[in-house]
Amino acid sequence: MALSTLTSRASTTSAASKPPTLRRRKRISASRVAATVIVAVLSITWLIPFAWATITAFKSETEAAATPITIVPKSGFTFGAFAKVLQQGNIPQWTWNSLFTSAAITIITLVISTLAAYALSRIDFKGRKVMMTVIVASLIVPPPVLIIPLFYQMVSFHMIDAYWGIILPQVIAPAMVFVLKKFFDQIPRELEDAALVDGAGRIRIFWQVVLPLSRPILAAVAIFVFIGAWNNFLWPFIVTNDSSMLTLPVGLQTIKSAYGIQYAQNMASALLAALPLIVVFLFFQRQIIKGISTTGLAGT
Amino acid sequence: MSTSTISKESSQAPIQAPENTHASRLRRDRRHGWGFMAPFLAFFAVFLIWPLIYGVYMSFTGKSLTGANGSFVGFANYVEALGDADMWHSMGNTLYFTVISTVPLVVVALAMAALVNMGLPAQWLWRLSFFAPYLLASTVVSLFFVWMYNPQLGLINELLGKVGIAPVDWLNNPEVAMWSIVIATLWWTVGFNFLLYLAAMQNIPQSHYEAAQLDGAGGWRQFFSITLPQINPTTIMIVILQVLASLKVFDQVYQMTAGGPAGSTRSVVQYIFETGFTGYRLGYSAAISYIFFAIIVVVSISQFVLTRKRSA
Amino acid sequence: MNELNSVSRRQLLRGGGIALSGALGAALLSGCGGSAQAAGEAQLRFWHLLSGGDGIKMQAMIDTANASQQSYHVNPTVLAWGAPYYTKLAMASAGGRPPEVAIMHASRVTGYAPGGLLDPWDVDLLAKNGVTKNDFSPRIWNNSLQDGKLFSIALDSHPFILMYNTEVAQKAGALAANGQLEIVTNSDRFKEMALEMAKVTGKHGLSYGYLGDGAQMWRLFYTFYKQHGASMELVQGQKAVVDRDVAISVLEYIHSLLDDKIATASGDGGTAIAEFAAQDSGMFMSGVWELPTMQTAKVPFDAMPIPTLFGTPAAYADSHAFVLPHQLNLDEQKRNDVYAFVADILKGSLNWAKAGHIPGFQPVVQSAEFENLLPQAHYAGAADIINYDPRAWFTGSGSDFQSFFAENVQNVFLGRTKAKDGWDAFVERLDTLLSKPNPV
Repeated sequence: MALSTLTSRASTTSAASKPPTLRRRKRISASRVAATVIVAVLSITWLIPFAWATITAFKSETEAAATPITIVPKSGFTFGAFAKVLQQGNIPQWTWNSLFTSAAITIITLVISTLAAYALSRIDFKGRKVMMTVIVASLIVPPPVLIIPLFYQMVSFHMIDAYWGIILPQVIAPAMVFVLKKFFDQIPRELEDAALVDGAGRIRIFWQVVLPLSRPILAAVAIFVFIGAWNNFLWPFIVTNDSSMLTLPVGLQTIKSAYGIQYAQNMASALLAALPLIVVFLFFQRQIIKGISTTGLAGT
Repeated sequence: MSTSTISKESSQAPIQAPENTHASRLRRDRRHGWGFMAPFLAFFAVFLIWPLIYGVYMSFTGKSLTGANGSFVGFANYVEALGDADMWHSMGNTLYFTVISTVPLVVVALAMAALVNMGLPAQWLWRLSFFAPYLLASTVVSLFFVWMYNPQLGLINELLGKVGIAPVDWLNNPEVAMWSIVIATLWWTVGFNFLLYLAAMQNIPQSHYEAAQLDGAGGWRQFFSITLPQINPTTIMIVILQVLASLKVFDQVYQMTAGGPAGSTRSVVQYIFETGFTGYRLGYSAAISYIFFAIIVVVSISQFVLTRKRSA
Repeated sequence: MNELNSVSRRQLLRGGGIALSGALGAALLSGCGGSAQAAGEAQLRFWHLLSGGDGIKMQAMIDTANASQQSYHVNPTVLAWGAPYYTKLAMASAGGRPPEVAIMHASRVTGYAPGGLLDPWDVDLLAKNGVTKNDFSPRIWNNSLQDGKLFSIALDSHPFILMYNTEVAQKAGALAANGQLEIVTNSDRFKEMALEMAKVTGKHGLSYGYLGDGAQMWRLFYTFYKQHGASMELVQGQKAVVDRDVAISVLEYIHSLLDDKIATASGDGGTAIAEFAAQDSGMFMSGVWELPTMQTAKVPFDAMPIPTLFGTPAAYADSHAFVLPHQLNLDEQKRNDVYAFVADILKGSLNWAKAGHIPGFQPVVQSAEFENLLPQAHYAGAADIINYDPRAWFTGSGSDFQSFFAENVQNVFLGRTKAKDGWDAFVERLDTLLSKPNPV
């Protein structure tokens, strides 16, 4: 609040006294400095939870639970908590479960959504409008509403504690169908018509003409679906019980203990669980941000 | 969205190649249409439509997780639910959370995007720090914040103490706990809305601003007269999505407070989970699910109507 | 890597004959070698909710049992204590693939057995493995029965007890001639003693953490409640039978302890543990399971049952008990192995006593080794005065019952609500639950 009045005041005073070109330059730099300061403060605030978790994770348990709290522990930093977590926990298994199920969800979602979106965009089949309406309507169904019947269904399919039980109910993404359809709508029809005249079939057109043009959107959808699946908690939480079957977020939830003190270990586990996606993000920041920006508005 | 694309296509339809082969292609198109749809439809039918229908059936039975009392009970579950103070309490908590989370999640995201969009240096750094939390699982976020909120050992109370503010009982005071969850949620997901806003702002043609500058409009004027109107569609979508997402809140609440203290943070989804699985009453829990669903439908439709009116 | 792959293959196969997205599955199937597990040994899945020091002890006992024979191999799954564990155990049983054997709190069995989620133990088969009724104290054995059938076998009883720092107590003049804490039979004297200890430590006299932890609130409350000789009965379809006056006075007494002088007004379990471990308090009211933590922290301490401040000796307790989750397709061989495993663990439960618990299996308790085990032997008498939760499908450790207690009573402890309002709201809650049909 204070900062905003400051910047606006700065701009009015300079506006009054300086010639236009100079004025513009100076005003921008003043407000820019202010903005940079605000953003810097904000982003430091945003990094604090990471920093504090990291500091705690590298403390000994006694040090982590000591009052008054310390930033740099007296006894120095230690890898003890990480070692303990890795040694006793199932974190590698859970990471693998998350990776496998998220990859499977992403692939299946991508395949079935792309096919459906293509049909909805390009093929004038009977019943298309009805299909569109049904899928639009389905966007309104919140997944939590389905947990009770879906659980029951998984019991009868013998899919409790099975990878398929985690994967299959997560592959329906009407919103992604729309994102893809919208993209296909923008591909010029002439491209396809040319191929049609050449005698190409639908499948070949789809495969050789449409898909190669759609790589960016496919990547965006894949990123979006993968992040969602990787972090999904509710459904894997419902459908898995056995420790060896849990995904990372669900498994992590089970390690919180009512006995004893293990703050450092909690933070070490949390950081280990956070690591894979953060690393991926650091490498593919541009693609991920672009992906989220293009698909995000369609919702989840 | 759907209607506009369909009408656009049908206007293109009269491009004709009046031949036999074309007709056969059209027929083939029909077959291919359903063929392309089939895989999606199969999953859609089995994992969305069927449970949706089966859930309705369950809500009319006394189905229990233990298998006991599976008989048809008519509307008894619905009648009980409508008179269930705990359900309404959890419903109220959910609405409360939705209101107090949506506002900051939109406003802070907008502020962040507006600031970063001023052409600041090191854009990637800001994007990274604001968006990175979004990549975390709810469990990680909860572990972080439960630790920071710890009454004696937590960083937040320690920092507050340094500036002379009395320690706050973040997660154990019924009047504060929901706000604590909102703060954690803000930290966690605001980066998503921030990215959407940033993308929208970067799509505004620079010429708009240049014209405004020539007219002598300052930064604030430009923001209110150009930026905000230009990103209005984005704002509408973000608000709609945020409201729907907030109504479904479960993960972080369940993990941070398990609905406590005194049930003050228990959301509807948690109540559904608990009546169904902790309390075994699947039928009753299904009934609550559909009451919740009905509310979501009402909210969605009214949002749709409202935004339509405004844009019309 | 190989191990990871083999696990995933097994789990993939569990998914059944669904050949969707075959490419993915096939890639995995072809990519891994044979199963890592030894042939012939029955794989027993064993769920428990013991973590921290308890978990380590239990793991050691499992390892011993696994190493001592070739017929079975036990693979434990550990889930978080409380509602998460019990919800998941019920979901796994309902899902048709529960573990072969699990540990439950004895107080929770009422919520599971009648619904068919558990199978009863075969007393004859138990006897063949050397475990009979006479090996358990009557209070514990009787609590294991539901409608005359044996549904649980108590590994231990774990009462709520008092640990005290002997050095602090000495300086506060609270030690009797035998070196143990003086016997207190008066609730005001207990407070005085705590205040004197607070003077010695300069911080608090007593450590007791409860924030956000209904179980912890209930344990202390029920101990004092039963010390008044009051009873509590919960019968489905009827109003809860409780002694309101006693309950309110107990709540008020506990609140009077939480005055920031005797004990911190608002502390959670971890804070209390840390405080006593750092010797910033003289006494610590807690479950027996925190004993190893204090031993590790090298606190000079002894332990005893909670002093009888209100006339009747009584202690809140529960038992970790073995149960048989109901199997859709019972594997006789596995079930036999489960009996052997449980008998092995019971007979070796002296190790379990080292985690603080009082073994349920009497031959162990009566052994010379146990009698020399201190401070365990100083509170082992609590096993004769233990009180389990009142029976109902919703009571027991980590149950809804305890969360309802927390919801209504935490604010009383914090001084935000009057004792009678908190209590009445809790009882109202119980009445609502009792008025609904029993879903079990």
